Amino acid sequence: MINSVLWTPLLFGILGLFVPRRWAGWVVVGGAAVTLGLAIGLLAGFDSGASGLQDTVDVDWISGLGVSYSLGLDGLNVFLMMLTALLWLPAVAFAAMRQPDRPHLYFLMLALGETATLGAFLAQDLLLFVLFFDLMLVPFYFLFGAWGQDRPDGTTAVAATMKMIVYTLIGSLLMLVAAIATAILAADGGQLSFSIVDLQQNVLSEGSQRWIFWFFAAAFLVKMPAFLLHGWMPDAYRAAPLPALAVFSAVLSKVGAYGFLRVVLPLFPDATIEFQEIVLVIALASILYGSVMAFTQTNVRLIAGYSSVAQLGFITAGIFALRPDGADGALLQMVNHGLVVAPVFLIIAVLAERAGTEDLREMGGIALRAPVLAAMFLIVTLATLAMPGSANFIGEFYILNGLFQAKIVFAFVAGAGMVLAAYYALRLYQRTMHNRKPEPIDSRDLGWRDAAVLVPLVGCIVALAFYPQLVLKRTDAAVGNQLRQAQRVDSNRPLTWQRGRESEAASISDSARPSGSGAAAS
Amino acid sequence: MSATTYAWLVLLFPLGGSIVIALGYRTWSGRTAGWIGTGAIALSFVNAIAAFVQLQGEPAKARHLTSTLWDYANAAGLDIKLGILVDPLSVFMILVVSGVSMLIHLYSVGYMGSDRGYTRFFSYLNFFVFSMLLLVLAGNFVLLIVGWAFVGFASYALISFWYRRATATGAGMKAFVINVVGDVGLVFAAILIFRELGTFDYLEVFDRAPGGFHTNEWTIVAICLLILVGAFAKSAQLPLHTWLPDAMEGPTPVSALIHAATMVTAGVYLIARTHPLFELAPTAADIAAFTGLATLLVAGSIALVVTDLKRIIAYSTMSQIGYMVVGVSIGAYSAGLFHLMTHAFFKALLFMAAGSVIAAMANRQDIDRMSGFGRAMTFTSVMLIIGSLALAGFPFTSGFFSKDAILSYASTRGGMYEIFTVLGYVGALMTAIYSFRIVFRVVAGEPCSEAEELAETGHVVHAEPENPATGDVEDTDVGFPGPEHHIAEQAPTMRMAMGALAVLALIGGVLQIPGVDDAITKFLEPTFEDSALAAIQPSVGDEWRDLTIGGAIAVVGIFMAYLLYVARPASTAVLVRRLRPLHTFLVNKWYFDELIDVAIVRPALAVGSFCNRVFERLVVQGLVAGTVDVVRGAGGVVRTAQSGFVRSYALLLIGGFTGLGLYFLLSSS
Amino acid sequence: MAVEWYLVLSALLFAVGAGGVLIRRSPLVILLCLELMLNAGNLALVAFSRMLGNADGQVFALVVMVVAACEVVVGLGLIVAIYRRRLPLNVDELRGLRG
Repeated sequence: MINSVLWTPLLFGILGLFVPRRWAGWVVVGGAAVTLGLAIGLLAGFDSGASGLQDTVDVDWISGLGVSYSLGLDGLNVFLMMLTALLWLPAVAFAAMRQPDRPHLYFLMLALGETATLGAFLAQDLLLFVLFFDLMLVPFYFLFGAWGQDRPDGTTAVAATMKMIVYTLIGSLLMLVAAIATAILAADGGQLSFSIVDLQQNVLSEGSQRWIFWFFAAAFLVKMPAFLLHGWMPDAYRAAPLPALAVFSAVLSKVGAYGFLRVVLPLFPDATIEFQEIVLVIALASILYGSVMAFTQTNVRLIAGYSSVAQLGFITAGIFALRPDGADGALLQMVNHGLVVAPVFLIIAVLAERAGTEDLREMGGIALRAPVLAAMFLIVTLATLAMPGSANFIGEFYILNGLFQAKIVFAFVAGAGMVLAAYYALRLYQRTMHNRKPEPIDSRDLGWRDAAVLVPLVGCIVALAFYPQLVLKRTDAAVGNQLRQAQRVDSNRPLTWQRGRESEAASISDSARPSGSGAAAS
Repeated sequence: MSATTYAWLVLLFPLGGSIVIALGYRTWSGRTAGWIGTGAIALSFVNAIAAFVQLQGEPAKARHLTSTLWDYANAAGLDIKLGILVDPLSVFMILVVSGVSMLIHLYSVGYMGSDRGYTRFFSYLNFFVFSMLLLVLAGNFVLLIVGWAFVGFASYALISFWYRRATATGAGMKAFVINVVGDVGLVFAAILIFRELGTFDYLEVFDRAPGGFHTNEWTIVAICLLILVGAFAKSAQLPLHTWLPDAMEGPTPVSALIHAATMVTAGVYLIARTHPLFELAPTAADIAAFTGLATLLVAGSIALVVTDLKRIIAYSTMSQIGYMVVGVSIGAYSAGLFHLMTHAFFKALLFMAAGSVIAAMANRQDIDRMSGFGRAMTFTSVMLIIGSLALAGFPFTSGFFSKDAILSYASTRGGMYEIFTVLGYVGALMTAIYSFRIVFRVVAGEPCSEAEELAETGHVVHAEPENPATGDVEDTDVGFPGPEHHIAEQAPTMRMAMGALAVLALIGGVLQIPGVDDAITKFLEPTFEDSALAAIQPSVGDEWRDLTIGGAIAVVGIFMAYLLYVARPASTAVLVRRLRPLHTFLVNKWYFDELIDVAIVRPALAVGSFCNRVFERLVVQGLVAGTVDVVRGAGGVVRTAQSGFVRSYALLLIGGFTGLGLYFLLSSS
Repeated sequence: MAVEWYLVLSALLFAVGAGGVLIRRSPLVILLCLELMLNAGNLALVAFSRMLGNADGQVFALVVMVVAACEVVVGLGLIVAIYRRRLPLNVDELRGLRG
C-alpha cells in the first residue's frame, strides 16, 4: 500500500510518455487521482492512538552500508502525505487544462516531483530521506528552468533557477555529509545503520551534535526558506510556472520543517536545546521580515512568497517551542498553509490571465463580474491571515500557546506577525478584487474547469476549519514521541522560573493541567 | 426542547440564511434575498425568545446551561470544544441582537431595494448577525475569539460593501486591522488564562479564578488588560477608536446594525462576561472605567463640531459606549447592559432616520447643507426627534433611565467613583447639545432645495453621485448609491422598522424604573450572583435624585442647542471664531489619526521600504550572489579543462592511465 | 610460442590505435582506431587465457566484442547523423561541449 502510494505518480508519469500529447497531462492527472485515493485509504486505516510507525516497509537496500529502503507512516507524516497527494491533483489538472509546451516531459517532471516529495515524507531511513530530499529538486529544476518565464529586466528563468539550485544544493550537500557522519559516529565502529529509529537509540556526543545540527538546519532552513537564507526565493518564484509553483510552495517548503521534527529533534536533542533560542530568533525574524516584505511588494507572486516565509517562521517557532502543543500546532499549520498557498498561486494564475500582468498596481476591480472567483479568493485570504474560525487560527493558536509557555517574549513578537498578516493578506485581496477597474482588465468569472480545481480545494479549507481535530487527533501521539528526547535533556537542566510557576499552579488546581508540564516533569 | 437546543437554532438560522442567499446569488430576483434574510433573523429571534422562556423555567441556581457539539481542537492538553453557554447574560444579548437585527433587516429590504449588490448585502448581513450571536453564545474563550473575529470580518465586508470607492475599501482595511489587534489581545489573554488555570471554558475559568489568583496579582491584571485590548478595539474606545468614524463609509443600515446596535457593544458584553476576572483585578477595571470616561468626553466633544451627519452619530455611539464601559467596569453590570439595550433601540432609530435623510439629499451627508425637512419628511423627522430625545436622556424616554442608572451607581459606590458621576453629567450635557444640533439643523429652518423639491413633487432629488472625500464620481456598477433612493416616507418596510424602534426607544425604560420594577437586574442576577459589586444597589431615593439631575441636564442641553442653532444661528460662527484653536483641534478629532499615522503606520512603512530597498538587495541577495559566485568561480577553474577537443580528452585519459600504471610499477618494485 | 610475442603485438596494435585516436580528425578513422585498441586488448586477453589454460579471458574477450559492436553501432549512427545535418566531419570543429 505505502509503496503504491509512493510509486504510482511516477508510474503514471512514465505511462504518460506513451500516449498522444493531448492526453499526457490527463494520464498524470489520473495518476495523481489514484495516488490520492490510495492515500485516503492509508489515512482511513491509520490508527490515531498509536505513536509508533505504521504500514512500514523495510527492505535491505545497500546492506553493507546499513542503508535500507524503509518507509513508514506515523502522526508526523500521515497528513503531509495526504497534503502532497491532495495538492498535486489540482495542480496537475490545472496545468493539464492549459496544455504547456512539450507536455510529455512537463508532466513526467510533475509526477516525478510528487514521488520524490512523498518519498521524503515517508522515508524512515536517513540516507533514503536525503536521497528523496535531493531528488525533489531535479524535476523542479527542469520545470522552473525550461517552462519558466524570463523577466523583462533580463533575468532569465534559467539564471533564476540556477541560483535556486546552487543555493539549495549547498544545503543538501551539507546535509548529506551530516547524515553520513551521524551514522558513522553513532555506529562507533560497529555495524552502520541509517535507520532513523535505530539512530534515536544511541544519541551522539554533545560536541558532534553541535555541528551536525547546523548542517541539517542549513538544508532545512534554505528549503523553507527562512530569513536571510531566502535569497533564492524571489527570483525563482517570479520565474516558475504557476501550477508547479503552487505545489512547490505548498508542499516542498514543508519538507524542511518536517525534517526538523523527524530528524533533528529526536537525533540531536542536546544541540536542539542549546540552539533553541537562536533558531527561534531566526523564526521570528522570518515572521516579521516576511510580513513586512509582503506588504511592500507589488508583484503578487512575491506577496505570496514572502507570506510563506512568514508562515514558515511560525511553523519553525512552533517546533522549536519544544512543547507538544507548539509542535502539534506546527504540524497542523503545515497542512493548513499548504492548503492555502496552493489555491493562492492557482488564483494568481487565473488573475494574471485576466489582468495580463502580475503587478498589483495594474490590477483591481475583478470582483465586479467574478463573484465566485472573489468569494473563493476571499475565503483563501481569510485562511491565510489565520482568521479565527479557520484551522489556520487553531494552528497559530497552538503555536503561540507553546511559544508562550516556553519563551514568553517570543510569543508576543509572533503576535505582531498576526496583525501584519491581516494587513498584507487583505491588501492582496483588495488590490486585486476591489477598487476601480483599470481599463484593459478582463473581469470574468471562473470557468467551470478552473472552478472544478479550485472549489474542492477551498472546500477542504472550509471543512478543516470546522474540524481541525481531524489532524490534531492523529498528530498528538507521534509529536510526543519526537519530543521525548529533547524534553529529557531539558529536564536535566535547572528549572526556569516558568516551569517552577507551572508546578506551583498545578498544585492549586490539579485537574486538567496541560499534559506538556506533566511530560516535562517526568 | 431545552434552552441550549434553541440557542443552537438561534445560531443556525442566520448562518443558513447567509449560505442560502450566497449560493443562490443568481437565482434570487427582486427582493427575495432580503426577505429570506429577514425571515432567517426573525426565526432566530423566535428561537431566542423560546430559549429565554426555557431558561426562565429553570431554577435560578441552574441557569448556566452548556452544550457541546464536538471537540474542536483537543490535543496536548488544550481542550477546545465547540460549545455554547446559555445563561441570562447570553440570552439577554441574543434577544437584543436578534431583535434589533431583525428590524434593521426589515429596514434594509426597502432601503437597499435598488442597490445592485442586494443579494451580497443580505448574505453579509446575515453572516454578521450569525457572528455576533456566536460571539455572545460562545462557551469558551477560543470560540469567543472566533465569533469576535467573524464579527470583525463581517464588519469589514459591510464597510467596504461599495468596494469601488477607494475610501470605503480603505476604511474597511482600517477597521479590520484594528480589530485584529484586538483579536491578538484576546488570543494572548486566553493563552495566559490557560497557563494559569489550565482551561478555556468560561465556567471553569470563573470557578478556578478566585482560588488561582490573589487580588491584583500581576498575572490577573495582565489578563484583564489583554482582554481590554480586545474590548476596546471592538468597542471603539481610545485609542483604538479611529476606525469607527471611517466605518460610516458603509451603507446606512450597516452603520445602524454594526456601528450602533450590536457590534460595538461586544466589548461591553465581554467585560460583563469576564466580570469575575475584573473583580479580581480592580486596577484593570479602573483603567477600563477611566478609558471609557475619556472616550465619552473626547467623542462627545468631537460630535459637537463635525458636520457629517453619520459621523456625528458615530461619535455619539463611541461616547455612549463609553458610558456602558464605565458601567460594566465599575460594577453596574445590569445598568450598563440596560443602557446597551436602550442604546441599541434609539441609536438604530437615529441611523435609520439619518439614512432616510441622506437618501433624500442624494447621498450628501453634510448637515450644514440640510435644513427644513420637517414638512417634506414628517415621519422621518418625528423619528429623528424621538431618537434624539432618547439619546439626550429626556425625562421618561428609555435613555433617561438607563444612562442615569450607571451614574447613580457610580455615586453610590462613592469615593473616587464620584468622578464618573460628575463627568458623566458633563458628557450628558454634550450629548443633549449635539443630538439636538442634528434635529435643529435637519428638521428646522428654511427648507433647502432638496427638501423643497421633495415637498412639492414628492420625488427624491437625483444627483451625479460623488465621493465627498475624494471628489471622484462614484461608480454605480456595484450599486453605489443605487439608481434610486429610498426614503422612509415611501417605503413601508422602512417605516415599520423605524416605528417599532421608536416605540421601544420611547418606552424601553419601563423595564427598569427605580422603585417600580427592575426586570433586567432580576433577570441577569444568576450571571452576576457571585459578584460583590453587583450587590451594591443605590437606594430608590438616590436614584430618583440622580434621575432628576440627569433629566434637568438634558432639558438644559436641548435648550442650549435651541439657542445656538435656532434662536441665534449666528452665534455658532462667533463661537468658532473665538475658539479657533479649540475648534480646529476638535474638527481634527484630537489628531488621533495623525498620531497613529506617525507612531505606527509610517515607521512600519519606512521599515518595509528599508527592507525592500536596502536590506533585501544588499544582504540577502548579496548572500545568494556570493554563494553563487563562489560556486561559479570554482566551476570556472575546472571548466578550462573542458576544451571540447576530443583528442585532448583522449590524451588526458591515456596520460592518466599511464601515470597510474607507472605509479603502481614504481611503488611495487 | 611464448606469450611475450603476443603481448608485444598487442601493445603495438594498441599504440597504433591510440596514436590514431589522438592525431586523426575524422570521426570515422577515430572509430576505426578505437576498434584497433579494443582488439589489441582482446588479443592480450586471449593470449593470457591460453597461457593460464582457463576460459575466463576468452569470455571476457567475447564481452568486449559485444561492447565493441554496440559502440560501432552508436558511433556510426552519430557519424551518419552528423553527416545528415551537414556538419563538418571533423572532430576539432565539433566542440559544442566546450565549457
